[in-house]
Amino acid sequence: MKDDDLNRILSEEEELLPSSGFATCVMDAVRREASIPPPIPFPWKRALPGLAIAGLAVVAVLIGLAKLVRGAASTQFPPAQPTVLVPILHAMINARVGWITLVLLVTLASVLLSMRLTSRLS
Amino acid sequence: MNASMDRVDVDKVLAGNISAFEGIVGRWQRPLVNLAYRFCGDRGRAEEMAQEAFLRAYRALDQWRRDAAFSTWLFALATNLYRSELRRIPARIVSLEDVAELRDSRAFESGLEDKDRNRAVRRAVFALPLKYREALILFYFHGMDVAAAAQSLGLPEGTVKARLFRGRKILRGKLPQILTAPRLKEA
Repeated sequence: MKDDDLNRILSEEEELLPSSGFATCVMDAVRREASIPPPIPFPWKRALPGLAIAGLAVVAVLIGLAKLVRGAASTQFPPAQPTVLVPILHAMINARVGWITLVLLVTLASVLLSMRLTSRLS
Repeated sequence: MNASMDRVDVDKVLAGNISAFEGIVGRWQRPLVNLAYRFCGDRGRAEEMAQEAFLRAYRALDQWRRDAAFSTWLFALATNLYRSELRRIPARIVSLEDVAELRDSRAFESGLEDKDRNRAVRRAVFALPLKYREALILFYFHGMDVAAAAQSLGLPEGTVKARLFRGRKILRGKLPQILTAPRLKEA
């Protein structure tokens, strides 16, 4: 088969007719779509101050944590203190840092998830 | 004529007259169903896909920028939808054997043979990988030029040309099998 034949065969249109009720079905679907009230947009104006405060709080907490960790690392325990307490204190500080980090991550994840869900709905 | 009618209907729909969308559906149902059918090869699914394309067009009607024809915008939207639908649920794979059997099942006498061969060749397009198939569909079945096909597919023209070339090459490579299969079965 030559190229021209192939081109000719492929160019020949075999028309398929939509079924008789197709247009009606489409219009029913469109009317259903139109009857659904538009999704409520995310209230950015109202949420913005809250988000800004939350952002500042996160930054403040992170700075505080950084100071805490740095302070804990440079703390010289008095020689009178039993050496057994040192690793315990370190563990406590570490544990608190871990929990705070976890809480922050969970908060961040929930904020991101809710934003994604809202944007998908709108 | 169609272009101005589309424009008028779109304006009416955007003004709140939903019934005006019926004009758009009436004018474009055939090309959209046919385009979907070329992609999936299944009449029922083609109508479902075309219905979804119309719904999406209705939702996004205000996004049609009037610098391009409404049909160009509608076809690009439909092509994108059909492509992603076929990636999500691929069309029933048509093997070369299926294509050959299609040919086998028809009468070969007299003038039917050419018609039948042509149908088998067109069916063979369904056996091509999607990326070649979609280029061939837009270029041949819908008579788009390379630029329009590239715009609909969101690809550079060079890529579309290369896919057309490669698609035709694969098809030509398969044709001897398609066209001789029934005779081999008879022998």
